[in-house]
Amino acid sequence: MNNTAPQSTKNNWHLFCKVIDNYGDIGVCWRLAQQLVGAHHKTVTLWVDNLHSFNAICPEVNPQQSWQQVCGVNVGHWSEPFETESFNKSERLSTADVVIEAFACELPSSVLDAMKAQAQQPVWINLEYLSAESWVEDFHTMPSPVHGMTKYFYFPGFTEKTGGLLWQPELLALPELMQTKSAKQLLFKELDVKTEFAEQEILISLFAYENPQVQGLLEALSQSEVPISLLVPQGRISEEVSLWLQQLIALGESVTKGAVTVTALPFMSQPQYDRLLAACDINFVRGEESFVRAQMLGIPMLWHIYEQQENAHIIKLEAFLSRYLKQAPFELAEQLQNTFLAWNQPTKESPDWLLLLKSLDKWKVHARSWQQQQKSVGDLATNLVKYTENTL
Amino acid sequence: MKTAQEFRSGQVMDINGEPWVVLKADFNKSGRNASVMKMKLKNLLTGSTQETVFKADDKFEPIILERRKVTYSYFADPLYVFMDEDYNPVEVEKENLGDALNYISDGMEEECEATFYEGKAISVELPIVISRTVAYTEPSVRGDTSGKVMKVAKLENGFELSVAAFVEIGEAIDIDTRTGEFKGRSKS
Repeated sequence: MNNTAPQSTKNNWHLFCKVIDNYGDIGVCWRLAQQLVGAHHKTVTLWVDNLHSFNAICPEVNPQQSWQQVCGVNVGHWSEPFETESFNKSERLSTADVVIEAFACELPSSVLDAMKAQAQQPVWINLEYLSAESWVEDFHTMPSPVHGMTKYFYFPGFTEKTGGLLWQPELLALPELMQTKSAKQLLFKELDVKTEFAEQEILISLFAYENPQVQGLLEALSQSEVPISLLVPQGRISEEVSLWLQQLIALGESVTKGAVTVTALPFMSQPQYDRLLAACDINFVRGEESFVRAQMLGIPMLWHIYEQQENAHIIKLEAFLSRYLKQAPFELAEQLQNTFLAWNQPTKESPDWLLLLKSLDKWKVHARSWQQQQKSVGDLATNLVKYTENTL
Repeated sequence: MKTAQEFRSGQVMDINGEPWVVLKADFNKSGRNASVMKMKLKNLLTGSTQETVFKADDKFEPIILERRKVTYSYFADPLYVFMDEDYNPVEVEKENLGDALNYISDGMEEECEATFYEGKAISVELPIVISRTVAYTEPSVRGDTSGKVMKVAKLENGFELSVAAFVEIGEAIDIDTRTGEFKGRSKS
């Protein structure tokens, strides 16, 4: 009997990414591309319009080069107009088996033409934004007949009726590796951090958009009974942190105020950021990419959701919380509900941060339980590969 | 061109060259202030339905369908021929008549409405309630005038429906053409 798995028929993937703002778009696309290559042995071309943003999270990318190979992924510069580059991009697309437009970006018309011209049209996927809202399940994998072809909407999510979250098995093992003093020291040495951290300190990373609530957070942390080390990667929250400290901190340097020591970290690569998250006791995260990583590490996290018009983001946040807190102990659920909502609504009263810190052990248990729950849904890359192979 | 978000139930959109009428549209906000629409659509040419999703700002050409009043003339196999108000013949294929076929009969005088796509009649709608004569049914049981007991009756064109037990052969009955339900004896 022949027990070999059927050979894949969809090996040539093209992933299109437009960087709108911040680093989430390219962050997600880059992780997906690497997983498709590393775990699923696909040939992947990642087309990115902003190579400078890409370079920030992956220094191996040369922003001056319009075509390059990085970590086994073909990286093409998505310039406009798409068809006038020195090499014929349409030819490169002529053998595409799967074309993904990330976050509903508009594919160039020349790409659409190349797809239509193929004898066997590629599977066309719109990889959508992550949401915990229930309507996502109804929309997931639905066809969309446009431009003379059919595209399929694919939604990441938190249930088996969605595509799951983007994670890889190695990520789950990272917290155990990063709990050792030597692992942390190695990371901080790479980041040129001069401060030594005591083992009894609570390590907290802070990655957020601008947020007036940070003043109340820092004030509370400074009054903690337990020493706290707050690690702040360079970004949009840095200015407000400096405001509270009433001074700027040079990268790699630290300032102590009361019980909290604030350390300014440089902007770092994705692998370094994963290690930072894994090394911490609590992670403040934002957007989609860091939000997913923090959850899949099984470490307590607090989410700053991307703000949308008409408070649509609060509806999405509440949808997430109803899933995230469903099996949490009652008191912890109440604390986290209030804290998440306050963190995302500047006009709300500052939450009781110190009381939340007292629940840290219970929060850690809950975070691991949530991680296991999400693990059972499967990872996005694998689910996407299965979908394109088996369904389409 | 209109965006997907701008289409309402009952409106028709050109999707990949075919006319689809919107039966239902659901709107949701996805990320970064973008939105997505889920639509239930019916193909006006084939009658097939499907559920689809679009980005709210995907653009489609709206199709304004022509509608004309017609009356039935005759059957010229395989076409059913109607006549419009200007006495022009309107030929309709059997498969495009749908449930209206159940009530087509020679000499019928009811005014119908034909829908046209690119000059071709793609559907005909009868009035909601029409009157037809029972060609055959089993004799009624004496004493049963409640209308709750039903029996099968056949119309002149062979179409069968359930009618109240008190209905007799040769009686004119009212029928709801949307559901095929017996509504009662026709008022003269």
